[in-house]
Amino acid sequence: MAIEVLLPKLGLTMEEGTVDEWLVNDGDVISVGTPLLRLATDKIDVDVEAESEGIIARAVPNGTTLAPGSVLGWLLAPGEVAPGEVAPGGATAPAAPSAPGGETAPVALSGRQRVSPNARRVASELGIDVASLRGSGPGGRVVSEDVEESARVQATKVTSPLARRDAIQAGIDVNEVPTDTGYVTRKDVREAISGHGVATPAPSSLAIIPPGQESSSIIPMKGMRGTIAARMVQSLTEMAQLTHGFEVCMDAVVELRGTLKEQYHDFGLQVPSLNDFVVRATALALRKHPILNATITGREIHLLRRIHMGMAVAVPGGLMVPVIRDADTLSIFDLARATRELAESCRAGSISLDALEGGSFAVTSLGTYGVDFFTPVINPGNVGILGVGRLRDSGRWDEERFVKTQVLTLSLTFDHRAVDGAPAAEFLQTIAELLARPLVLLPGA
Amino acid sequence: MNTRELTYVKAFNEGMHQIMAEDPDVFLIGEDVAGYGGVFHMFDGLLTAYGDRRVKDTPIAEQAIIGVGVGAAARGLRPVCDLMFMDFIGVAMDQIFNQAAKMKYMFGGAVSVPLTITTAGGAGMSAAAQHSQSLEAWLAHIPGLKVAMPASPYDAKGLIVGAIRDDNPVIVVLNKKMLGVKGPVPEELYAIPLGVANVVQEGDDVTIVAIGRMVLEATKAAQALGEEGISAEVIDPRTVQPLDIDTIVTSAKKTNRVLIVHEAVQFGGIGAEISSQVQESAFDYLDAPVTRLAAPFAPVPYAPILENAYIPDAARIAAAARQLVERS
Amino acid sequence: MTETLAPNVTYGPPEGYAAGVTRELVLDLHRRMVRIRMFEESAGKLVESGDMPGFLHLYVGQEAVAAGVMSVLDDVDQITSTHRGHGHAIAKGAEFRPMFAELYGKTTGYCKGRGGSMHIVDMNRGMLGANAIVGGGIPIAIGAAFAAQYRGDGSVAASFFGDGATNIGAFHESVNMAAVWDLPVLFICENNGYAEFTAQGNHMRLDDIAERANSYGIPGVVVDGMDALAVRAVAKVAVDRAKRGEGPTLIEAKTYRYFDHQGIKGMRIPYRDPAEVEAWKERDAIRLLEVIGTERGLVRPEDFAATWAQTETDIADAIEFARSSPDPDPADILDDVYTV
Repeated sequence: MAIEVLLPKLGLTMEEGTVDEWLVNDGDVISVGTPLLRLATDKIDVDVEAESEGIIARAVPNGTTLAPGSVLGWLLAPGEVAPGEVAPGGATAPAAPSAPGGETAPVALSGRQRVSPNARRVASELGIDVASLRGSGPGGRVVSEDVEESARVQATKVTSPLARRDAIQAGIDVNEVPTDTGYVTRKDVREAISGHGVATPAPSSLAIIPPGQESSSIIPMKGMRGTIAARMVQSLTEMAQLTHGFEVCMDAVVELRGTLKEQYHDFGLQVPSLNDFVVRATALALRKHPILNATITGREIHLLRRIHMGMAVAVPGGLMVPVIRDADTLSIFDLARATRELAESCRAGSISLDALEGGSFAVTSLGTYGVDFFTPVINPGNVGILGVGRLRDSGRWDEERFVKTQVLTLSLTFDHRAVDGAPAAEFLQTIAELLARPLVLLPGA
Repeated sequence: MNTRELTYVKAFNEGMHQIMAEDPDVFLIGEDVAGYGGVFHMFDGLLTAYGDRRVKDTPIAEQAIIGVGVGAAARGLRPVCDLMFMDFIGVAMDQIFNQAAKMKYMFGGAVSVPLTITTAGGAGMSAAAQHSQSLEAWLAHIPGLKVAMPASPYDAKGLIVGAIRDDNPVIVVLNKKMLGVKGPVPEELYAIPLGVANVVQEGDDVTIVAIGRMVLEATKAAQALGEEGISAEVIDPRTVQPLDIDTIVTSAKKTNRVLIVHEAVQFGGIGAEISSQVQESAFDYLDAPVTRLAAPFAPVPYAPILENAYIPDAARIAAAARQLVERS
Repeated sequence: MTETLAPNVTYGPPEGYAAGVTRELVLDLHRRMVRIRMFEESAGKLVESGDMPGFLHLYVGQEAVAAGVMSVLDDVDQITSTHRGHGHAIAKGAEFRPMFAELYGKTTGYCKGRGGSMHIVDMNRGMLGANAIVGGGIPIAIGAAFAAQYRGDGSVAASFFGDGATNIGAFHESVNMAAVWDLPVLFICENNGYAEFTAQGNHMRLDDIAERANSYGIPGVVVDGMDALAVRAVAKVAVDRAKRGEGPTLIEAKTYRYFDHQGIKGMRIPYRDPAEVEAWKERDAIRLLEVIGTERGLVRPEDFAATWAQTETDIADAIEFARSSPDPDPADILDDVYTV
């Protein structure tokens, strides 16, 4: 069935828009998000994107002025025929180049734009360029309402309805979605969601390409990349971070996992990963060391009642940190399942915004990449993050006997504003003790 | 104390009775104010109540009427001198603007002149050019004078009491066409201080500053505008001298559009002063030129069709306000 | 003649008005007149020299009118005056220091430098203010008289004005209203023969302005305005009448202005004849009183001389006071526009 391409209403007071230029030709196969046409309104020019797939059939020529909601064309299924004429509902006649005797298009006297003093004042306060505005007051004077509406339109980003719907479903404010074009697309919303946040990175102060160099390709620092950049810079500039390296013996965990693998094998039960054990131990250790499960607001350190564990998950092009709520109350099996599911939805891009928010501490693992020690960067809002290194062989002397053991290095980065070195070390010791008694880690609550 | 509905003129009359009962230094002189009670019945019952020592008919001699007031006021009494029709004020003008207004200042503060002059202004009764004028701008122009223009029964009473208690010469201009207008009036004696505007109706889209009877018309216009979704704020300055410009400017900064309405001719009227002060104080808050709606520059005509064309009314006020807020 | 004036015009003071004149009265009237004359001549010179601002309407020549009337008034009695008002103020008891200070525009002046020559006021002495609008003070005087009647305090009011002012509406309105209400007020017309520079014969048909009293049903009296004792006598009759509740009297004092309408410099020809001026000076009010005083053996010449000398000293003191007084502050320019 033919899908109508409608003239979008881009602002509260928008009464009409003009098809400035079609960007596609009749019969072009269109995918979602393809810019279909450039729409001119009294305040802004935007590209209208396809919100569905199909074969485009244009209903109006360039230069047509219509009211919002008017049909501009259709997206057809293969073989489908466009419905006859433009539906008359809501449409005004295509505007003549000039409107003789009409009240439209007031012409500024002597080419001087009329702007009320109040409009100039408000524009100055809101940072709006009045020259870009069309005046709606008597005689075509730009009045403060024109400025305020323009500001609202700029603040209320022009979005495709689908992008808006996606944003609402994802629980994010579409106005905060970064966009290069001034027009928020579904793609922008997706990037914003996957980037766990919508902050715009501060532009690098190194604003030039080094002499003698040229770019082979350019990766825009936007979307998730932008978010990561912004949050990491924020983290490192706002906190007093330092890192303890701490080696823990994993023999007990390794032995227990071996037993579980043996016994679970025939039942198809999942055995918690080494990392799950560390996360579980960390969650329990946070109960004993609440200073690590905290947040700093202004001049206060708030110890948080609940332990929501962030889990860093690498995804193509970046990193996401889904959150396991009340991680200390979960059995290691529930914890393992939650971890697995969150990681999958991150990689699938189906993670919800809710699942990306509210972590009170985080664990990140680079062990599978062969890293032993590193300096994780604390997620803004937390006071600590634990890095998990590679499981490796080691040895220790048991009386006169050299015993082979397996160890890994924990890298605890903490915010020295809240946590001093010794308490941080004690927290690591608690984790080590729990990992030495892994049966304690199995049940929940 | 109770509040009940009184006509404008009865409210004024009650104020006169109560202030004369309160203060033995208050006396009333004027043409036909005693035996007849004033041609508009403003002074009914005062002669009977307070006797011919305090309520006196005068010769038709406006200079002497005001002169008695000036001299007696300078000697510490609180005269009320009635000039019947505002148009007659010209006959007495020297005593008003050269004597009453200036004595305090040119005598270095040695004398106060707590004189009240009452008179009736305004058009709309086919009274023609010499019985219909609104000359408040003349008076407001003179340093030393105060000019009150009650626009409701409540204000008619409160402003005459406020004027008589004021230690300066005050001209209280009643509006002839409002004499029968009813409104709530408290029974007890009360005074409205001079120089405090009344925000008759609050609104956001346009400020209508109206003077005298135009307050009624502006209020009607505001209702009509409200039904169209235009929110008008109606301000009655109550006194044009002193002028409560702060209230007007505050409103202008809120609505960004100001319309001023008065019965007096537009040229050199109070609207010009208000307009100028608004643009001086709130230029950067205006979305439209401050607009005046007032009488054309002609004497008040006699024929009803001409007089109706002469005086602003609710429909024209609403139209002017619409133009101010109009957007395309 | 009787002491009660009929409601028609009489000419000259009551018979035997000069009988029983005492040394004290002669010295009192003389002192008032000398103080006026010396003040006016000093002030005139100071303005002419540029030391003092403004311009002056000098009272020299007319001193007997102010002195004679004021000698029968008390401080509670109110007067209103004219642009030619220094004499009235001085005769009513105003002091030299604040007068000169006012003429110099100083804060120590009667009007704090706001009024100047034409607006001297002294509420403590019943001087309700000089008035620079011809006729402007007359309605105010009947207001003061109304207040006296309203309060029943036994005081009277007197309004001074010139021959020119009797042509203005305010005069007629006020005399009529005062007559209707029997207000205790004296209307003192100082007829110096000129409305500014226009001779009486060119601005009215009457020879005797006192006849205008007939129109209002009140007594009119013509008196020699160069004879302080005569002026005093008719004023006394009018004051007594007013205090009895019988209403106002119009007194026309025929007098003469030695200087021009304004300033101290001679006069411009031809609006009046220099011989006319000299003739009036022959009947100078101060000399006349000095002659009466000495011929009757009431006052020795050296007593009169002492008054002249004392006045000269007082004037020098007052000028010095005025010159050394502080100027007003422009920051206070809005003070006293309103009573707050």
